[in-house]
Amino acid sequence: MDVSARLRQGNLLPLVGIGVVSGLFAAMFGIGGGIVIVPLLMLVAKMPPRMAAATSLATLILTSLIGVVRYAGTDHVDWLGAALIGIPAVVGVLIGIRIQRRLPADWLVLGFGMFVIAIGLRLVIWG
Amino acid sequence: MDASPELIALAALAGVAAGLLAGLFGVGGGIVFVPTFVFLFAFDQLDAQATSLAAIIPVALIGAWRQSGEGQVDWRAAALMGGGAAIGVLFGAEVAIRLDDEVLARAFGVVLLLVGGEMLVRSARRLRTARATPGPADDPRRT
Repeated sequence: MDVSARLRQGNLLPLVGIGVVSGLFAAMFGIGGGIVIVPLLMLVAKMPPRMAAATSLATLILTSLIGVVRYAGTDHVDWLGAALIGIPAVVGVLIGIRIQRRLPADWLVLGFGMFVIAIGLRLVIWG
Repeated sequence: MDASPELIALAALAGVAAGLLAGLFGVGGGIVFVPTFVFLFAFDQLDAQATSLAAIIPVALIGAWRQSGEGQVDWRAAALMGGGAAIGVLFGAEVAIRLDDEVLARAFGVVLLLVGGEMLVRSARRLRTARATPGPADDPRRT
């Protein structure tokens, strides 16, 4: 049975829970989008790594939009700055997805594990 | 914002790097964006975080759209998590005011070390087994 079929059968609460946790961490540490969502989707919802990463990106559409709306009307968002880094990042994401498509799942998890450890070290050392 | 050609080139490089992480691992890129704004453009922390959210929008949109074309996105799961995140952000702001966030951040860091370590060990073990017995486990199409 594929993952979305299993999720359709109920168990919606864990997904909302994953969202709540990622939002909590985002508000508390400024870190908490994909780095919280992807491992939890793999561990709790048993999603395959690639689908977890892709679904995490889809979640971030919502969370980043909500976040920006919250700041809209203040002068905290520098739109030129966002474009200068965000547009090249779109090129990066398309390349990243091409690489991901060719990468066996175990290598993907290995790479993500190293990335998570790097962020964990940063937090442990600098708080 | 003062944007010299050098700064624009550096921002573009950081952007591509953040995008690569987003495409590979499904993280939005804030982890690269925020320090780039702080160190390169001398934004304060709040401006950097707010602007980072704006920079994530196109990455998440195009990335999810591309992945969706390959049937990799569970949109319903994404909507549920997005709704949950909106609730979590509200509570997080409350909790952050009441607790020592440096201790919390270190605790979060330890959790990430454990989670990352588990992924590393599990995938390395599977890769070693796969090398001992070459077969379908090596096939990228399996993913």
